Amino acid sequence: MTGKIDIIIRPLVFILLATILCGIVFEISGFSAILMFNSILEGAFFGSRSLEKSLRWALPLFITAVGVGISFRCGFFNIGAQGQFYIGTVCAVYVTEYMSGVQAVIVIPLGMIAGMAGGALWSLWPGYLKLRYGVDEVITTLMSNFIAGLILVYVTSGPLKDQSGSGQQASTKILPSELRISDANGVSPTIIAITITVGIFGWLLVNRTSFGTLSSLAGRNPTMLKYQGGKIWQLGLASFIICGMLAGLSGSIELFGPTGRVVSGFLPTHGFTAILVALVASYAVIGTAFSALFFGGLFSAALFLPIFTGLPTSAIDLFNAIIALLITARITLGKNFLGNLWNRNHD
Amino acid sequence: MIEFHEFLVAILRSGTPLIYAALAGVIVHRAGVWHLGLEGIMIIGACVTIIGIVLTNSFVVSILLAILICIVFSILQWFVIEKLKANQIIVGLGMTGIGIGGTAFAVESIFGSLAAISAPFGIPRIGDTFGPYSGLSVLVFIMPFAVFSLWVMLLRSRFGLRLAAAGEHPFAARSVGANPSMMRLIAFCVGGLFCALAGAELAAGSLQIFAQNMVAGRGFMGFAAVIFGGGHPVGSALAAMFFSIVSVVGIRMQIHMGNFLSHDLLLCLPYIATVLGIWITARAKGRTNSATQPSELREQ
Repeated sequence: MTGKIDIIIRPLVFILLATILCGIVFEISGFSAILMFNSILEGAFFGSRSLEKSLRWALPLFITAVGVGISFRCGFFNIGAQGQFYIGTVCAVYVTEYMSGVQAVIVIPLGMIAGMAGGALWSLWPGYLKLRYGVDEVITTLMSNFIAGLILVYVTSGPLKDQSGSGQQASTKILPSELRISDANGVSPTIIAITITVGIFGWLLVNRTSFGTLSSLAGRNPTMLKYQGGKIWQLGLASFIICGMLAGLSGSIELFGPTGRVVSGFLPTHGFTAILVALVASYAVIGTAFSALFFGGLFSAALFLPIFTGLPTSAIDLFNAIIALLITARITLGKNFLGNLWNRNHD
Repeated sequence: MIEFHEFLVAILRSGTPLIYAALAGVIVHRAGVWHLGLEGIMIIGACVTIIGIVLTNSFVVSILLAILICIVFSILQWFVIEKLKANQIIVGLGMTGIGIGGTAFAVESIFGSLAAISAPFGIPRIGDTFGPYSGLSVLVFIMPFAVFSLWVMLLRSRFGLRLAAAGEHPFAARSVGANPSMMRLIAFCVGGLFCALAGAELAAGSLQIFAQNMVAGRGFMGFAAVIFGGGHPVGSALAAMFFSIVSVVGIRMQIHMGNFLSHDLLLCLPYIATVLGIWITARAKGRTNSATQPSELREQ
C-alpha cells in the first residue's frame, strides 16, 4: 500500500472512469458530452462567481459528510443522514416558531442546538437498535429517511404551513431577516466560521483523540478492538450521535441561512451526496473538504445544466450514482488490473 | 363481504411488487450478497415496461425488454461486487441512484419533460371469471407459483444447496465443484428477472403509469422482507405481504379516521412496520454487534 498517494489517486481514477462512462451514456442519448463537461467545469469552478456558488452547496455537504465519515470509519453504515438533516431542520423551525419575538442572538444558537439534538435523536434510535439488538443499521436508517421525509411533509403542509404561500410547494413561513445568518447566496462569515469549526472539531476528534483511533480500529477489525479494551457499545453510539448531530446542524444552517424556510422535500439528494463525499475522501477530514467542494460544484453546475446544454438535472444524479457504484472497488489499479480481474476469485 | 374482497384486492395489488422484489432479494441473499440495488433495478423495470408499451405498443415485447435490461444491470452490480470487490452496500445504493437518476434521465431525454408517462394499456388482466378479482393483473396470478418455484429451486434442488453453500461457506461450494462466483452471477440474473416483474407489476399492474421515483422505498422494503423472512422464499413473501397489509390498513385508516390522524403520518406505517419487522428478526436471532453482512465478500 503506497498510503497517502493511493488515497488521492484512487478516487480521481474512479471519478475519471465515471466521467467516461457518463460521457458514453450522454453521447448515446444524443447530447454532447464534451459540451456538457465543459459547462459543468464552467458552472462549477471556472466561471465568474461560480466558486462562490459551489461553496454554497459545499459547506452543508462538508458538515454532513464529516459526520457520515466518522460513523463509517467506525464501521457503521449510517446512511440516514438525509433523515437526520430533515429532522434537524424541523426541530430548528419549531424553535423559531415558539420563540418568535425573542432576540436573534438567543434564537439562532438555540435553533441550531435543537437541530443538532433532533438529528442526534433521529440517529440514536437506529444506533441503539443496532448496538443493543443487532438490528441492521442499513435498513433502519433507510427507513428512518423515509419516515423523516414524511414528517417533513406533515410539518410543512400541516402545523407550520405558510398559509399565504401558493399551493405549489408546501413550506413554512420565511424567517424574518434578523434571524437569517446569510442571504440566499448561502456564503456568509458566520456559516464559514461554523463550517471551519466543525472541520477542526472533526479533524481533532479523528486524528488526536483515543476515540478516533479506537473507532477506526472498530471499523477495520472489531476483534482487535475488543483486545485493545475498546467498547464498541460506546464508540458506536457516539459515532451515531455525532453523525446525527452534524447532519442536524447542517439542516438548521440551511434553515437560518440560504433557504430561510422549510420546504417540503427540499434537497432530496443531500444525504446520499454527503455519503459519497465521505467515501471519496476515504473518511479523512481534510479530504472531505476537497471532495465536498467537488460535489458542491457539481450540484451548483447541475442547476444550470438544462439552460446551457439542454441536459436534464438528473444527469448529475446519474453521474454521482456511477461514482457511488465504483468508489469502493478494492481492485488494485495498475498493470495487472485485467489479470487481477479474472484471477482473484480463486485465491 | 364485498368490503373484504376489496381489501384483499388492495393487498394483492400493493403486495405483489413487494413480493417479487423480496424474491429477487432472497435468491441473491442466499448466494451471500445483500441486494440493496433492488430499488434501482425495480424502477428500471418499471420505466422500461411503460416506455416499451408506449413506444412498441406491445406488452410482450416491453416486458421481455424490461427483463433483459434488468438482468444487464444486475450483472453490472454482480461485476462490481464480485470482480471489483467493492462494498456491497454502497454498490447497492449506487445502483439505486443509477435507477432513479437514470430513469429520470431517460424519460427526460425521450419525452422532453419529467411529467408522468401513462401507457394506453397495462399488463393483461386475469379476466371476468374471477369476480371481484378480475381487475388484477396476470402477474398477481403468477406470483404464488413464482414463490413456490423459487422455494423448490432454492430448498429442494441440488442447485439451491450449492447456491446456499456459495453464500454461507464458499469453501464447501468449491469442494463440490461449484464456482461461488458463477453461482452469484446466476442468482443476480434470476434476481434481475424478478426485479423486472416487480417493476412491471408496480407500473403497469393497475396504474399504467410511470412517475419519477415511483418505487418510493418499496425495493428497500422488499429487502427488509428478506431479512424479516430469514432469507426463506415463503417467509420473505409472507413478510412482504405483512408490509403490504400494513400499508393498506394505513390507507383505509386515512379514509375512516382522516380527521384525527394526519395523512402523511399514516403513510409512515409501512416503514415503521419494516423497522419493527427486522427488530423482531434480530431479537429472534440473538444479539450481534459486529457487521452482519453475510458472505466472504464482506472483508478482504
